[in-house]
Amino acid sequence: MKNTVKHTGLLVLSLIFFFSLSTTNAQTSSNEITYVKVEVKGLACPFCAYGLEKKLKELKGIETIKIDVEEGLAYLTTLTSQKPTKETLEKIVTDAGFTPSSVVFSKKPFNLKDEN
Amino acid sequence: MKIRIISFLIGLIVISGCSENKKKKKESTSWKFSKEIQLGNISPIGIVAQGNFLWLSDVDNNRIVKIDLDGKTIESFDGFQRPMHIAIQKDKIYVPEFTSDAVKIIENRNVSMLALKENTDAIGGISVDGNTVAIADFYNHRIILQQYDKVAIIGKEGHNDGELYYPTDVEIKNELIYVADAYNNRVQVFDFEGNYVKMIGWNENIKVATGVKVTDTQIIIADFEGNRILIYDLNGKLLQTLSDKYNQPTDIEIVNDKMYVVNYKGKSISVFNE
Repeated sequence: MKNTVKHTGLLVLSLIFFFSLSTTNAQTSSNEITYVKVEVKGLACPFCAYGLEKKLKELKGIETIKIDVEEGLAYLTTLTSQKPTKETLEKIVTDAGFTPSSVVFSKKPFNLKDEN
Repeated sequence: MKIRIISFLIGLIVISGCSENKKKKKESTSWKFSKEIQLGNISPIGIVAQGNFLWLSDVDNNRIVKIDLDGKTIESFDGFQRPMHIAIQKDKIYVPEFTSDAVKIIENRNVSMLALKENTDAIGGISVDGNTVAIADFYNHRIILQQYDKVAIIGKEGHNDGELYYPTDVEIKNELIYVADAYNNRVQVFDFEGNYVKMIGWNENIKVATGVKVTDTQIIIADFEGNRILIYDLNGKLLQTLSDKYNQPTDIEIVNDKMYVVNYKGKSISVFNE
């Protein structure tokens, strides 16, 4: 009887352990971040830069946006699970009045100019 | 009695002559560079004067800053979302937010909201005159004129007379509406009915007309990309071009016969004397 209780207890503990492990993995996956760099032509003034920022902010899953006016770059961090497509980003840039030059996705952060 | 009337008439002629001379002098006045005020980490877009103080919109840092005429910060108000060309009426500072499409009012250190009757997409500038509010609606390429419950729309997207292309600033002066028609590289003037009146700056190849200031005698335009300030009379005749002292100028204010020009990239104010 004592052994049965012991075995049942161990089984329950094991189940709890595996369940919590799988939940943690799922959480890690849903919180995973993708870094995006968008090169934009014609980003000349703060009205343009912050106009593009305004349009990008409307996207779901965007965590941060940083615009580098001088270099004509927009840096985004987004939840990987809600990562926008290259085509979506290019359309936003075009609708904001600019020409998209390139879109790069990365698992690692980009080296931003003012962080050097 | 006759002598009295003749003396009175002579006096009147002399006074009106002096006033006319003063006006002519004002119109032909040339501005001379006086000094540069460094603003530290403030990235200014808009500037308005209140007595001997200046208010600046610090777009990069999402705040409004009050400084004295030497550039010393008096106080600042945080929490604005990309504030652009601001306006002043009595003790109220009107702050348009580019990101949120709201207009906030700072008065006695309190912040309240201005009710807007029309949806906007990125407010670049605002002007307030009595009960009339004019708003530069950047992405919709138009000016919204709000008077009490009445709303009038001025301009539409385009490049012809009366059409706008990314307007960034607006000023109401003497029953007219002056619009910094930024990416049409000009200033356009409209009446309150929305009728096109005239265009200013077309011959000077302005690169981006980001800001406009209108005085009793002059129209002053900030050419952001051209790093210039252009000064016109009210008929649109070019009086003076100022260059070399700017680093992406965005707006102009006049205080005590001095002109203050804010430089976005330069994070500074260029001061000119008449």
